[in-house]
Amino acid sequence: MPDTALAPAVGRYAYDQVDRTFLRERVEQFRDQVARRIAGDLTEDQFKPLRLMNGLYLQLHAYMLRVAIPYGMLGAAQMRELAQIARTYDRDYGHFTTRQNLQFNWIRLEDTPDILARLAAVDMHAIQTSGNCIRNVTCDEFAGAAADEVLDPRIHAEILRQWSTLHPEFSFLPRKFKFAITGSPHDRVAARFHDVGLIARPGDDGRAVFDVYVGGGLGRTPVIGVLLHDGLPEEDLLAWLEAIVRVYNAHGRRDNMYKARIKILVQALGIERFREEVEAEFARMDRARYRLDPAIVTGIRARFAVPDLHAPADAAQKLQASRASTPAFDRWVRTNTHPHRVAGFISAVISLKPDGGIPGDATADQMDIIAGLAERYSFGEIRITHMQNVVLGHVRQDQLQALWQELASAGLATPNIGLVGDIIACPGLDYCSLANARSIPIAQKLSARFADPGLQERIGALRINISGCINACGHHHAGHIGILGVDKRGEEYFQLTLGGSGENDAAIGQIIGPALPEDETVDAIAALIDAYLVHRHDGERFVDTYRRLGAAVFKDAVYAPA
Amino acid sequence: MDVRNNRRTTAGSSVITANRLLDGRIVWLTDQGTWSVDIACAATWPNDRIETVIADTARHQQDQGVVGVYGVQLADQAAGITPLTVRERIRAFGPTVHPHFVPSHEDTPHA
Amino acid sequence: MPLLENGRIVADDWVHVPDDAPCPADGAVIVSFARVEEALARPGAAPVGVRLNPDTDVATLNTVLPRLGLVNVDFPGFRDGRAFTQARALREHLHFTKEIRATGHALPDQYEFMLRCGITTVEIAENADPSVWEKAHTRFTVAYQPSVLNEKSQGFGLRRFLDA
Repeated sequence: MPDTALAPAVGRYAYDQVDRTFLRERVEQFRDQVARRIAGDLTEDQFKPLRLMNGLYLQLHAYMLRVAIPYGMLGAAQMRELAQIARTYDRDYGHFTTRQNLQFNWIRLEDTPDILARLAAVDMHAIQTSGNCIRNVTCDEFAGAAADEVLDPRIHAEILRQWSTLHPEFSFLPRKFKFAITGSPHDRVAARFHDVGLIARPGDDGRAVFDVYVGGGLGRTPVIGVLLHDGLPEEDLLAWLEAIVRVYNAHGRRDNMYKARIKILVQALGIERFREEVEAEFARMDRARYRLDPAIVTGIRARFAVPDLHAPADAAQKLQASRASTPAFDRWVRTNTHPHRVAGFISAVISLKPDGGIPGDATADQMDIIAGLAERYSFGEIRITHMQNVVLGHVRQDQLQALWQELASAGLATPNIGLVGDIIACPGLDYCSLANARSIPIAQKLSARFADPGLQERIGALRINISGCINACGHHHAGHIGILGVDKRGEEYFQLTLGGSGENDAAIGQIIGPALPEDETVDAIAALIDAYLVHRHDGERFVDTYRRLGAAVFKDAVYAPA
Repeated sequence: MDVRNNRRTTAGSSVITANRLLDGRIVWLTDQGTWSVDIACAATWPNDRIETVIADTARHQQDQGVVGVYGVQLADQAAGITPLTVRERIRAFGPTVHPHFVPSHEDTPHA
Repeated sequence: MPLLENGRIVADDWVHVPDDAPCPADGAVIVSFARVEEALARPGAAPVGVRLNPDTDVATLNTVLPRLGLVNVDFPGFRDGRAFTQARALREHLHFTKEIRATGHALPDQYEFMLRCGITTVEIAENADPSVWEKAHTRFTVAYQPSVLNEKSQGFGLRRFLDA
């Protein structure tokens, strides 16, 4: 494919010929692996890790392909290609995940090499979105835009992505390995729930420094990560991460897949001994080899096209006027926008949680609409959030109402971000062979029951997370209200947890009582919300009232109603 | 394959299932020894006789283009062939949240 | 078992000595760590190699390594990636320059990773097709991170040219 110029890529890394050649080589490698599998030269057991490292699962109905969206950033042309793939090879829709990736549920193995080739043609792939290797590095959905951000983490996210791609030593780890990185003091990436969470900030000399958290995770054994290193200098970043992953590769458990994550190793050794191991490895390494030269960072940064952020002087005033004249628009601005660092700009959140809908799903037509809106309102740049929504990061305030009107016509203007209707749910037993229970129907019933926008705003900030099993892909441990699907004598039951958080106040939700059948679960959530509304003090969110009062009031609301 | 899938009681009867290798679709073993996407076409075995059938079938899975062969217990009291567990009913009849994605016909999308 | 080097079958000068077998008086032998001194004590200075378990810390080889001609790392299953770290540590920490041989159940698809971690030879199955391994070695022309092979920088980022 002839290519002489770099296509400008706003907010993400622009590929060059070398990157594209690599992607083509990867596609041909997989095409060959599929051929060997079909011929029987590879058994299913041998083929499985190879296909997982190209994002391909054998799932409940068909193959599922998890496409990588590195640090959640997409271009409009890429989104359009995802829509086309959905139409051509799947069932006209896709599902955005809690790690900022996209899943197609009805994929054929024999089509997958062609699908990967089409993705490669728009600089996309499914590399290492599964497997016992380093996965997608997730990032703040408002990176490069948020008013409270001190450093744009996407440059280092890209550096980590490249460094971890087909890493020769770290492709057969004891288990998966997940990084998250944020450049804001307000943790929007759940850094403390990752294997390694990085909080980036400018150091004294203006170069980035990183606070490194290690050993966080959810799943069977939820743990909040521990601070391993405070203020790690940028040039030591790769060496330090190599040291951490190397200690894990050497010493992580390989006898029991449920005890194989790095969080188990950190707990077993204790943070002091773990730190000693990492420091010893760091001291022994050939540091020149792993040094992150500032010139490399500058070079990667130069590949990120920067949008020209100039708004008219009266942009803010125009927005105020439109808000004053259109209550529905005013409500949507209250719930679905985020402050921008540049005067006259704002970030807009497109909710993929319509009332009664499937959280995180988008039809091919909706993907095309979002691509068009991104082109006209936000420099062609699209962000996928780990709460399964979409962000247009750089919208002129004087154009916000026009954007909202177009979203409203397309049914994409649900004003529920961060509210009870903004439910995070894994695909659950409808789609996932690991699940114990279906998560989507509960999400649908809850969002239908609480559809009224006025009611949602009255309830206020409320994170509900639903996981269909203990693998916790819905991040239920980190929900203000968490719902976990369990198998009770072959029937679907749901266990409730309260008080979790994935933000700076990271906390693991506490179980409040025995698991309930589905219809009682929806009623229980309603009872919890009622209890909150009765007992809350001014300015308290649900989770604040829970923390102040403790579980008793809420337990009684569910299990011993008066 | 999840160990939970392959549970059965000593009484009762089961069908045999797998995924098709090429397209991943759920298939059920018929009494002609072919694989159908429609569970209504599945052969049933009493549980005390099914283990050897599963083992024999699994031995030939590469030739037959399937992977992950196991047994699925049926609900005895149901009218037609219906799996006992919710999970297997979803595999057989499709995702409950997309009722139009029914597997009971041979065609696959976008042939 | 056939021995693969640079994607081709080569002659194997080494003999594996199981723990319950006597150590031959001559010839290049690969023994477990506990028997290294016994093998080195043979008159005639025939080469000695050591067979590691995946959980062996290569630092324990520190003093004896200069006298060894080969280190054998193992893949009990292809999912067990500890041999990659062991090989890398031998090259980078301990500056071992001689043969690192992989045994066990690695897949040809792992060959390039093995080479980039410093493994030089692989014992492959009797009926294995060496061309599958060779193809795996030449599949990619660029890598995205440094390695102990000190590949030439491609000129941008962390990228390295991979030689065939």
